[in-house]
Formats: sequence, structure tokens, C-alpha cells
Amino acid sequence: MTFRTQWQLFYRDKWLFSCLTWVPILLALSIWAIFFHGTARDLPIGVVDLSHSQLSRTISRQLDASATLAVNDKYSDVSQAKNALISGDIYAYVVIPGQFDRDIYRGQSPQISAFYNSQYILVGKLVSSAIISAVGTANAQIEVLGSLSDGNTTTQSAMGRALTIRTQITPLFNKNTNYTQFLVSAIIPALWQIFIVAGTILIITANAANKSAASRATRLSVGQVMTTLSFYIPLFLLHGALFLLWFYVGFDWPMNGSFVALLFAQFVTCIACMIMGAFFYFLTHDAARAISVAGAFTAPSFAFMGITFPVTDMNTAALIWRNLLPISHYIEVQVSQVSYGVSWIVALTQLLPMFGYLLPLFLTYLLITKRRNSSELIV
Amino acid sequence: MKKLALLMLEIKAIMGNSAVVLTMFAGVIFYSFLYPLPYANQTPREQNISIVNLDRSQASYQLERMVDATPQITVVQRDHSIKAAEDALLTHSNDGISGISGILVIPEHFYKDLLLGKSPVLAYAGDASFFLVYGTIIEGLANAGGTLAAKIKVSHLLTQGLPADYASNHVSSVKLNMKPTFNPGMGYIHYVLPAVFVLILQQTLAMAAGLMGGTQKSGHGYWRQYGSGQIFAVRSITLVGIYVFLSLYYFGVGFEMYGINRLADIPTMLAILMPFLFSTCFIGIWLGAILPRRELVTFVVLISSMPLIFSAGVIWPLEIIPSPIIWLSSLFPSTPAIQAFVAANQMGATLYQIMDKLLLLWGLTFLWGVVAFIPFKRSNESD
Repeated sequence: MTFRTQWQLFYRDKWLFSCLTWVPILLALSIWAIFFHGTARDLPIGVVDLSHSQLSRTISRQLDASATLAVNDKYSDVSQAKNALISGDIYAYVVIPGQFDRDIYRGQSPQISAFYNSQYILVGKLVSSAIISAVGTANAQIEVLGSLSDGNTTTQSAMGRALTIRTQITPLFNKNTNYTQFLVSAIIPALWQIFIVAGTILIITANAANKSAASRATRLSVGQVMTTLSFYIPLFLLHGALFLLWFYVGFDWPMNGSFVALLFAQFVTCIACMIMGAFFYFLTHDAARAISVAGAFTAPSFAFMGITFPVTDMNTAALIWRNLLPISHYIEVQVSQVSYGVSWIVALTQLLPMFGYLLPLFLTYLLITKRRNSSELIV
Repeated sequence: MKKLALLMLEIKAIMGNSAVVLTMFAGVIFYSFLYPLPYANQTPREQNISIVNLDRSQASYQLERMVDATPQITVVQRDHSIKAAEDALLTHSNDGISGISGILVIPEHFYKDLLLGKSPVLAYAGDASFFLVYGTIIEGLANAGGTLAAKIKVSHLLTQGLPADYASNHVSSVKLNMKPTFNPGMGYIHYVLPAVFVLILQQTLAMAAGLMGGTQKSGHGYWRQYGSGQIFAVRSITLVGIYVFLSLYYFGVGFEMYGINRLADIPTMLAILMPFLFSTCFIGIWLGAILPRRELVTFVVLISSMPLIFSAGVIWPLEIIPSPIIWLSSLFPSTPAIQAFVAANQMGATLYQIMDKLLLLWGLTFLWGVVAFIPFKRSNESD
């Protein structure tokens, strides 16, 4: 099978051509569009102010001043606010008790309650820490005012007394704790894996169909499968290189490691994914079933990558499944290169588990030859 | 009786189609175990950090112990300089397991500044490549720092001659009580699974419906002898019927297994389920009719999963998703269905509160029904 015939087959089959060229790019762009706003801003919350005093309005203003929060609604009683929380109109509501100001002036520490929607953990965490810090700031303001009104301290010392310990937090490797960088740089590789595994199945299917039309007697040989698939390696690698270029040159996200190491890791990952794709095809000998199996294998891989939920907190069964997925080995190389800038030797050791894909490769070889022999017997 | 015969033929065709059976039953059951697997521990705990203590005072050691005592953090090493700790952070993750994810620096004169009321600054640097780890450590440090600050405030008040009872109640002028609602343990499974299960139901049903059409596109059989309308109706009813049982498995057994809230009653669940399943089935029939080969149905549905789950407004908030993306994702039943199911079942919303989502689902059912029937009729009646 020459390069020319394969190109003709690829180019003529509009569906195969689309699925392996512009569709992955369109999908990657759609993922980026979803996370286009990398930071959550002005998430709606409500305030139930039962005190209607100047101090309670200070709290309310402080909440609204937080970049994460926006006080969209004021409710006159708790049940209204609760219903708004359930309907999803707001992500949290803060209840300021009656007599709030009186209690403060008497030094009786009134209690503010904040109910936040923790069903949506990501938003819940953002909203809760924003409320804590806003109330903390309001609290400090109130205390500073209190100490100053005693008249025996300076502003500086009053501030010190109010905020006993301050913290300075530095996020490393993702300076603005930007969700676009955090999620997109992991979701796109996961998508890339799906396209390679499922794409390999589509390629073999197209060739098998072509083959059977030409000569029904013989089936694809190992050599034919390998030459056919190798034709598409540059295409998959081009997609890989494109997303790296997009992330670390286009978006200019911080990149401390070597592109060569990343491209090499992509090459190894691509081969591993193609082996799995071929394995699924020759195991089922039916494109639809093979893609179903490939879907079961690759679709949840983002969850197993350990980017959103840490690997250290996964149980053994999860770790075993994680190790079966080519992309989880790739993402380790990507994170350690991009964030920590480790040497390429480390990258190589991270790729060692990829030798494991020699086993499905061998099984695929057996499946192909067995099938071929049995079909020859029939003829 | 002819209709009943068609129903039997349809059931036989579905059960006899190995690709459909594999996708529907094996897929749904396999996923119900696979998806929750990475999150089995629910919340990340005991993240590893290093402490660089430049103060070495009693208060600083106390802070170290407090940090270590929080459920979020384990202090695995102590470094003598910031440089040494930085190196440790960078060499981390060679095996992806051990190593540290953050550094806490306790500055020189920490204790002295505290006593002078000068508000010393604790510096923390964390690996923000992993947000959940980062957030967990920040949370732990905030807790420990807050506790120490409160202790110190109490002792300040005591030295001013105030009674201990008064002092411990007046650590701050306002007390804040944070109440996580609907998912009090902040469990990750409770966050992801209710949404993902709905998506799995949609994707496998769309695949199954599409594969049926794709399989029957070439060849002759009972589907050529009946009217397209009849086949369309019977196929939808059969598949939706099967999926009602699979949904019961997910929302009943599945949620029970993982201890997820089930606040909605059966009528509410069915009210969401019916338009959701029918519109999904129609999308599958549409795909089966327009795509030339049946494996493309599986392929197209497979690659759509990630954009659909992330744009549904549960994992990532709707407020910050660009509007064109929301309009686009609202064309697929998963988006309103995920929102409606989560609101009703996890948060206890009434039918009235999710009415807008239900209306959208019925709208989609009508829309996809029309969109699917036209090419289905053409494909079924042409040879």
C-alpha cells in the first residue's frame, strides 16, 4: 500500500478526512470557549439583612466589593433566600441577625451565617473563601474603628491588633490561578487521546472496507496495518504540536521545560494510543463495537489524569486504571516539564510504563495473524 | 395486533444487535463503577508541605504543630532555607506520588512582631498546577493561622485583665458561621456523579438509537414492511422503556451505593426523565439517519461528551460561560436535564422551580422529533 493510494483513500472519504483534520480542532476551540473566562467573577449571592443598620450595610458592601461575589438580591426573610438558592438564582446567602449593630457596640460578637451551595464544589469553594475574606475585612474595619474610638492607639497598632497574622499567598506555576490554563491544558490532551484511539479504528475500518472491495480473499496483514497506520502518525503529531504551540506560544502560558521532551512524549503516547485502537478493532472486528470499547476506555480519562482530583488521594483500583491510560503518563511529563522544568532524563523515566503497551501490541499481532490464517483456510 | 408484532420485532432487533447491547447494558453498568473510581476518597486530605521556620520561637513551633494537626495538611519535611524548600518542590512529582506541594515560610521575628502587635506576614507558596491540592492546603493554613491568631488574641485580652470567659468569646467582633448546603461534606463524588450519570444516559441512549438506524440502513427486514412513522414511534418507545429501567438503576441503586442525595420523588423524576429520554432518543435516530456508517454515530457521540459535560453549568458555572456556548449546549437535552435533575434530586427543588428547564426539554423533544423524523423517513424508505 503506497502513500499515494492511502492519501486518495483518506482524501476521498470525506467523513474520515473531517474526523481526523478539522473536527478535533473545532472541538479543542469549543473547550477553550467554555473556559474562556478563566476566573470566576461576580458570582450572584443574596443577603438577608435583618438588622438594617449602618454596620450591616458595611458587611453587605464588603461582600459586593469582592471580585468573586456580586450581591444581586436582598431578601427580607430566610425562606425567600433559601428558595433562591435552590432555584439556582444565587450561590449563597448571608444572614445578618437583627440587633447586629447593638450587639457590636455592646461587644457581644453577633453571629453572621452564610449558607453556600456546596453541591457545586468549584463555585462553592470560591464563594465560601470570598465570603470568609470579605467578612474578615469588614470585621477588621469594625475592630479598627472600635480601637481608634477608644482613643489610645495609632491606626497602625489598631490594625495590628485587628489582624494578628497576615498571610501572603503565592500560587506557583499558574500565577493568576487561571482556570483556563488549569483545565484547558489537561482537557485538550484527553481529547487528543480520544481522537487517536477512535481515529485509528476509523482508519483501519476504511482500509478494511477498501480491501474487501478490491479482493475479498485476503484480509489485512500485519505489515499492511502497520504501514497504513504509520501514514497517519504525522497527522496526530501535528495536532499534538499544534496544541502545545497554542498553549505555550499563543497564550504564552509559562513553560519551563523542553519542547523536545514534550514532543517525544507525544510521539510515544501517540504510538501507545494507536496500539490500543488497533487492539480494540481486531478484538471486536467491528468498527461500531470497537469504538464503543474505545469510548469506555478513553472517555473518563480526564478524571483519572489527576489534574482536578489528586492522584495521591486515589485508591488502588483507580490507580491501576489510571496506569492503563496512555494519556496519564503523558500528562505527568507535561506537568513536570511545563511547571517544574525537570530534565529530559526524568521525562524518559516517566515514559517507561509505556513499554507496557508492547503487550496489547503482541496480542493485536496474534489476533491479526490468527484471523488471516483462518480466513485463508476458508478460501 | 400488527403493532404488537412490530414491538416484538423491534425488541428482538435491539437485543440481537451486539453493538447496541454492548453500548447500552455493558456501557451503562461499567461506567457506573468506573466514573466514581478516582473520587472514591471524596475529599483530598493530608497534602504534603514543607515548613521553613526562620523564627524558631515557641509560637512558631506551635504554629508548625497546628498546621500538621489540620486534616488538610501533613508536614513531611522541614527545610533550613527557602532555596532548599524550592528545590524540593521542583524535584517533586518525579514519580507523581511523593514530594511536597507547598512551602510555608514563618518569617524571622514572627513571635516578636506578634507580641508587638505588628501583624507578621506568613508566606505561603503552593503548586497551583493542581487546584484542588492548592486550595486544600490554603484552607488548612488559613485554619491553622486563624486558630493561632485567635489564641494570641485571647492571651492579649487576658493580659489586659479581662476574664477568660469574656476573652474567648471576643476573639473577633463578628462571628461567621459557614454552612455548606446540599453537599455538607463537600464530597467530590456528590459533585461530579449526578451530572455525569445524566450525560452517560444521554450518550449511550443516543448511540444505541443511532446504531439501530445505522445497522438497518443497508439490508432488508421488518423495517421495510412497516410505515416509517410506526417504526419511529415503536423504536422510541422501546428504547425509552429500556432506559427508564437503566435510569432507575442509576438514580436508585447507583446513588444509594455512593450515598448521594435523592430528594426528588418519583413523579418529579419521571417528569424530567420523559422529555429527556425521548429527545435524546430522537437525536440518536437523527444521527443514525444522516451518518453514512454506523460507527460514525458512536464516534460523533463519543467526542461530544467532554464539551457537553463542561458546558452543562454544573462543573463550571453558567455565569462565566460565554452566552453563545450556552445557547449551543442548550440544544442538547443533557444541559437542561443535568440542571433539572441536580436541582430536584440533590437540592430539593420543586417542579415549579425547575419549570423553565422542563419547558426547554419538551421544546427540544418536539424539535428533535421533527428534525429526526424527516431524514429517518427518507433513509428508511430509500433502498
